[in-house]
Amino acid sequence: MRCFLLLFYLLVIHSTAVKAMEINSKVVSCSAVIETEQTNMDLQKFRGKVVYLDFWATWCPPCKKSMPFLNALRNELHDQGFEVIAVNVDEDSDDARQFLQQYPVDYLVAMDPTGQCPQQYDVKAMPSAYFIDRKGIIRHIHLGFRERDKQQIRSLILDLLAEK
Amino acid sequence: MKKNLNFLFKFVCLVLFLFFVTACSVAPWERGNLAKKNMQISPNPVRSYLRSHVFDSKEASSGGYGAVGGGCGCN
Repeated sequence: MRCFLLLFYLLVIHSTAVKAMEINSKVVSCSAVIETEQTNMDLQKFRGKVVYLDFWATWCPPCKKSMPFLNALRNELHDQGFEVIAVNVDEDSDDARQFLQQYPVDYLVAMDPTGQCPQQYDVKAMPSAYFIDRKGIIRHIHLGFRERDKQQIRSLILDLLAEK
Repeated sequence: MKKNLNFLFKFVCLVLFLFFVTACSVAPWERGNLAKKNMQISPNPVRSYLRSHVFDSKEASSGGYGAVGGGCGCN
């Protein structure tokens, strides 16, 4: 009986206990690894910067489509305090490494093959982007990527950069 | 009486367990394998199109492969 209760507790109660990130909540760091810096992704380090936290995968065509735009935007606004952090969620991170060798980007890429980060952020679509302000608060969540989204993304980032 | 209660408790737990298990879904970031080409319903669309074209020509009929439309007759 005790064994049965324990099994029930582990399977049912623990399966739903995930606290999701929402708009106006503070960002938390997760287990993704930034390979170029050989460190865990620590979002507290980016306090004072506007961060575009992007969840992407190589099997996701809109994710790949967004990358040249994000790279150009990052390079344009980097001096004003803008940074893009792209968390790759491929189960095999080698897929992402090969893709990035072919199509390199200037922004930071973190690898999370375990899927812990997207679970923590309650990612609802691929790609999903979290706009984080200078105080480390999520201000907007953008799902998917289409050509017509470029203008909206740009103006949202400019608005956040204008805040002091 | 105690035996019945015990059985009832186990039954309720089982129903709740099945409810939570069936509520599981594939998360958006776990769809890498589902996105592979060989996981498509028609893994080779060009070959399927060619075969259906040959079939249409030989049998003088086409369609009937899917369930397109809502039954309005306009499709």
